[in-house]
Amino acid sequence: MAEKDKVYKCLNPVGIQASVDTFPLAPRLDTLDGKNIYFSITGEPDITIALEKKLKMDYPDVNWQTKKTYGIDPMRLSEEEMKTADGLIQAVCW
Amino acid sequence: MPYIAELEKAGIPTVVVDLEDQHNMVKQEALAQGVPNVRFLPASRTLPGPEDVDALVAPMLEALTKPLTKKEKEKGVYAPPQPRILFEGTLNEAETFYQQTDWVPHPLNAPISRYADGYPVVIPTEERVREMLTGTSHSPDEVITCKADRLGIRGNRKKGDAVPFQPMNWTATVEKVATIAVMSGCKPEYFPVVLAIAESGCPIESTHSLGQWVCVSGPIAKEIQMNSGLGLLGCGNPANITIGRSYQLMARNLGGAIMGINRMPSLSSPFTHGTACAENADGLPPGWKGLNEESGFKKDESVVSVFNVADGIRGVQHSPGGYRALQKSGHGGMARRLGVKGIPGPHNWLEHIVPDFWGGREGPKTIIMVPEMAKHLYEYGFKTKEAVYEWLWKQSFMTVEQYKKFSWVDLTTNGWMGIEATSGKHWKELPDDYMVPAAGPNPSGFCIIVGGGDEEVSEQMSGRRGGENAVYSVDAWR
Repeated sequence: MAEKDKVYKCLNPVGIQASVDTFPLAPRLDTLDGKNIYFSITGEPDITIALEKKLKMDYPDVNWQTKKTYGIDPMRLSEEEMKTADGLIQAVCW
Repeated sequence: MPYIAELEKAGIPTVVVDLEDQHNMVKQEALAQGVPNVRFLPASRTLPGPEDVDALVAPMLEALTKPLTKKEKEKGVYAPPQPRILFEGTLNEAETFYQQTDWVPHPLNAPISRYADGYPVVIPTEERVREMLTGTSHSPDEVITCKADRLGIRGNRKKGDAVPFQPMNWTATVEKVATIAVMSGCKPEYFPVVLAIAESGCPIESTHSLGQWVCVSGPIAKEIQMNSGLGLLGCGNPANITIGRSYQLMARNLGGAIMGINRMPSLSSPFTHGTACAENADGLPPGWKGLNEESGFKKDESVVSVFNVADGIRGVQHSPGGYRALQKSGHGGMARRLGVKGIPGPHNWLEHIVPDFWGGREGPKTIIMVPEMAKHLYEYGFKTKEAVYEWLWKQSFMTVEQYKKFSWVDLTTNGWMGIEATSGKHWKELPDDYMVPAAGPNPSGFCIIVGGGDEEVSEQMSGRRGGENAVYSVDAWR
């Protein structure tokens, strides 16, 4: 067999991915009125300042709570807050 | 995203807003965290905030209230196939296979290599990988783990923990790294350096920072004939070039980093072609430590330092002839700037470049200088590198009023709600004329690398030196 026709086994350089259990999203709310909705602010004040203001002004029946940092790591809900939180908006970062 | 995943799994509905071009990155990270269908809304990069908000609010609230779709209710297991042998065929066929590309849409709009860096690779046949493995005593199936405790940007890791490669947090074996060393064109004797780089997890740039490079310190640099002299950051030396390349091929393959998908530097830089060099230990003035000793290793121990380049290279700021005139006789523009006209050196030439160091961006610097210029600093009076770092740091002090005009400080001070490190006081308590360091809380972020040729030049880069946490033992991987 000519050298150019020789068949080689070539190795896989791609990293090892652990299998991931995937989960459904949390059930959505039937209404926001009276609910504790956290607004988790991470950066982009041009958007988040206007957003916070509009949410509070246009949706006064929602119990808005704010968690704020200028960094990219969100201020996490405490264990107690987790028990009473009904929803969370994360902006502008993931 | 781990936080969002945690909330969704705990039954708290969320919606995430990020800039529109980040969509693929959000999707990929959401899958990695087990919540592939996270609800995501794109924010504009250009609309004024209030206009953007007008468009965002209704879908944002709907994302919290609209019932889940069938797909969003699904649970399962994501387990992609991971064969050891990726391709079987002739070398010609393999070359075509490993040069495959995938089209990456906006904001890239071009094909990107699936396994490589855009250049052709050396085909990683079983035989070649086996030969590469002769460069280490570690077994092929050994997982790449931390050889020391590490403080990482994505959490602390203990000695023995598997190294998560950036950005997807995948892991690797010694054989995987050998596969990539072959693809990069490395020789087996380079392999311990490549393994040491692997221990870093090969972090990639953020949206605005520009790239990474590595510098080898210690005896292995000579053993494998790395270039620490003229053109050390340039082309031509097989060890420098292929070791540098291996970093980027590891980021692509072991970290899953895809330009335009989860690697988003708006401009990027030639550093991401892969850059490695060695420091010139013989060029260090007496008492000046190499990168190995600066990081707690011994002079006869080999290490590799991983650098993140925040804003590219700030090029040579003086003519070599002008520099020689300064040091030989105190003539020329540099001497006038330093106020030493007619006075022969040694002079502190850093005074020439420091005034513009913090013109645009705060933070410490990495300075590469040729041996002669290091010698002049030594003769001027800097008997250690630490003395230079201390001097540079002191030069960075400026008023709070000036400091407030940098761009990153809103983030680093947490909107001025944090504590200023040198005073221990809240930023908001400090008067505008209070002096603070633009180079960070202490001098340790600076780094000097001695290397290069005889022409009197120095280049500088922004970006905090990673300290001991970004320095990896090569000897641990021999």
